Amino acid sequence: MNPLLDQFLTEGRDVLQSIGERLLQLEDSPNDAALMDELFRLVHTLKGNSGLFDLPEMTRVLHAAEDLMDAARDGRVPFDRALADRLLEAMDFVATLIDEIAEAPDDTPPSTARHAGDAVRLGEALRSLLQDDSPPLDADGTQEIPQDAPPALYRTDAGPDLSALPEQTRQDLRQRLDAGESLCWLGYEPEEECFFKGEDPFHQMLQLGAPLWHRLEAREDWPALAELDAYRCVLRFEAIVSASPERLAEHFRYVPDQVDILPLSALMQTDTPQASATAIGPEAAWSFDRVLAAQREILALSDTPPWLDGRLRAVAASLSAAFISVDRAIEVETLEPALASALAARSPAPLLAWLDARQPPTEIGEAADIDAGAPTDSSGAKAPEAEAVRFGRRAEDHLTNPRTLKVDQAKIDRLMNLIGEMVVAKNALPYLAGRAEDVFGVRELAREIKTQYAVINRIAEEMQDAIMQVRMMPVSFVFQRFPRLVRDIAHKLGKEVRLVMEGESTEADKNIIEALADPLVHIVRNSLDHGLEMPEERRAAGKPSEGRLNISARQESDRVLIEIADDGRGIDPNRIRRKAYERGLIDETALERLSDQEAINLVFAAGFSTAEQVTDLSGRGVGMDVVRNAIARVNGAIDLRSQLGQGTSLRLSLPLSMAVTNVMIIESAKQRFGVPMDSVAETVRVARHDIRTIKHRRTTVLRGRLVPLLSLNELLALNAEQIPNDDDEFAVLVVRVDQEYLGIIVDDCRETIDIILKPLAGFLGGLNGYAGSALLGDGSVLLVFNPRELL
Amino acid sequence: MALEFKKTTVIASDLLGVEDAEILLEWLIKHPRGRINLSACTHLHAANLQVLMAAKPKVSAWPRDGVLADWLRAALTP
Repeated sequence: MNPLLDQFLTEGRDVLQSIGERLLQLEDSPNDAALMDELFRLVHTLKGNSGLFDLPEMTRVLHAAEDLMDAARDGRVPFDRALADRLLEAMDFVATLIDEIAEAPDDTPPSTARHAGDAVRLGEALRSLLQDDSPPLDADGTQEIPQDAPPALYRTDAGPDLSALPEQTRQDLRQRLDAGESLCWLGYEPEEECFFKGEDPFHQMLQLGAPLWHRLEAREDWPALAELDAYRCVLRFEAIVSASPERLAEHFRYVPDQVDILPLSALMQTDTPQASATAIGPEAAWSFDRVLAAQREILALSDTPPWLDGRLRAVAASLSAAFISVDRAIEVETLEPALASALAARSPAPLLAWLDARQPPTEIGEAADIDAGAPTDSSGAKAPEAEAVRFGRRAEDHLTNPRTLKVDQAKIDRLMNLIGEMVVAKNALPYLAGRAEDVFGVRELAREIKTQYAVINRIAEEMQDAIMQVRMMPVSFVFQRFPRLVRDIAHKLGKEVRLVMEGESTEADKNIIEALADPLVHIVRNSLDHGLEMPEERRAAGKPSEGRLNISARQESDRVLIEIADDGRGIDPNRIRRKAYERGLIDETALERLSDQEAINLVFAAGFSTAEQVTDLSGRGVGMDVVRNAIARVNGAIDLRSQLGQGTSLRLSLPLSMAVTNVMIIESAKQRFGVPMDSVAETVRVARHDIRTIKHRRTTVLRGRLVPLLSLNELLALNAEQIPNDDDEFAVLVVRVDQEYLGIIVDDCRETIDIILKPLAGFLGGLNGYAGSALLGDGSVLLVFNPRELL
Repeated sequence: MALEFKKTTVIASDLLGVEDAEILLEWLIKHPRGRINLSACTHLHAANLQVLMAAKPKVSAWPRDGVLADWLRAALTP
């Protein structure tokens, strides 16, 4: 299901719950203005949200509820029990719709059009309260005479005048009805202001295809041309079309209060010669159809239970009662033989045939709505709809089990911390196994401990995975505010910018996503302010005047990469050098020595800003260093690349989750170190004679690729040679840095373990080259490299 | 332009939008005996329909589209 709709459903239920609570509280203290405001706000919110989706029925009811609440809030309508009842009923209706949508299997919300009639009725019921109680105040002229909610499926006040039909059409219609076609009479009176709402009633009618009969007239006499208001709609369309009432209701679902739809079967039946003369109301006809549909459904059941006889008799009784109720008792005479043959054959077929002969199957309503199992008695046949349908969902009704849980984040955090500790604690088991073997000399026990460890390890990993899934959030959480931000800033600066976003659905841990929000906004502002040029400048440089800002997110193994790239002027390394020198960030020798890339990286230095003047956008000196620190705090890395005149690209690499890090333990100069697994490409053994020295740099060929080699002891300035194994082979850790591969010679590679990485703090915090430290199962401290910074 | 005005006839082509109703009405007021040619018209907005129903100009050619022509005939011929 699409996430927006999902969220709406979840929130919708919450809001409905709150509305229910407020309503009940208000009944106790009807004069509580704050409570009233709160209630209005809730209804208003829900209405607004429902407008995002194609749910006109829900919006209609909520709109009426909102109007009523507004009136109640202003004191125009007293808040009383009747009002609360109506509102509760409306909310029950909304809840029904929400449940229905939630149960839909596919992505798109199902059409709720068949509730259109209910929606109209509820809306009118709500509005009638509004009018009943405040007739004099309603001066602005929404002035329909308050009427009790008519118990109709559709509006029925304007009945069809079939006498206008030419005899030939009448014949044709009758034939079609007999052939089982579903025909409807349709009356459509568009409201006067409909043109201003962008509606075209004529188009709407034409969409229905060729009608069997149609009539178009004005609701009032045409004035003189000079006085004609072409934009006040006074048309009235009538047509007889070959379509089911449901389809028509769906077609006109946005204007259900302006159309009348009547299945023609009922209307025509009344003037067919075989039926007695009494015309039945459309409402009764509708009920009659529903009863028949229900019976048909029972007959269509294919099983043959022992109580089949009873069932057949019940159906026959219902049918007979239904036909008698619409004054067609004469037809019931043939029912008895049909029942007899059905009982004899133990099959519902004869009854079904009888029913089909009387009333061809039409798609009337949702037969499932009727309690299909129970035979309907004659009173039920007449009017189950005689009173307004109530969407009662009181306490005794079944509760839909919510599919989502709202949990306080602190609880999740606690769970995550516990799982983290569990992961570390299990690391103690291999040491224990080692001690059992080495110190106490019981190899059996050691083996058993290791087996147990494997089991615990698997469970711990799954737990870790599960808790990570819980905490995952899509980056769109942060990305979604960029379109507006970019638009506003670009507007302010007079620049033309096109924002392209990719990979919004990439997910990462909630903490990571949240930590990302501010730095990203800052980076985007920087790009807009410093990176992209003014349109004239861009045209002069031969670029399209519209600048391009690309924000993309993607997952790469267990990191999330976020790239913000613009095609602006890029960063001039010389300007950076000069500025840095002026601000005393570097000295003269450094000025000469710095490579372009190093110079560009100076923008991350504290207190660095190139902007000549402080704007409200950027240039206050709290700049990229803050960004870098924020990213580093969540174990992320930031990489800035810029090409003068071509643009700048910033790449953030963040861990998917900050909870647990998988590291490989290596040994060098009798010390143990950790290397994050995500930067390790492979570990190989390279024989001494395979190492070539090219220009004082050691290299080797691995899988047809030249890989430079560095010794870890040299990198760490440890005064020791790397130790090869007995075959004179070196252990080489191949790491990947910026898509390039590099071999680090170590003494030995050991196992990989999961640790909780703690960043170095205090005085050690300034040491780059280390990502942090961790506690091992045997209580010792492991230092973990950051290969990117070590080199 | 969906409306083309000749001396005594207005020729409607393609789709008559909601804005065209006002122009059409104005022209019909000025030319009380004006005719309308709808042969190339594929659809007209209901506002235009109202204008035509109120002004009842002579229709020199009906739309080629059968359904549309049917509706218009029913509305415009007494």
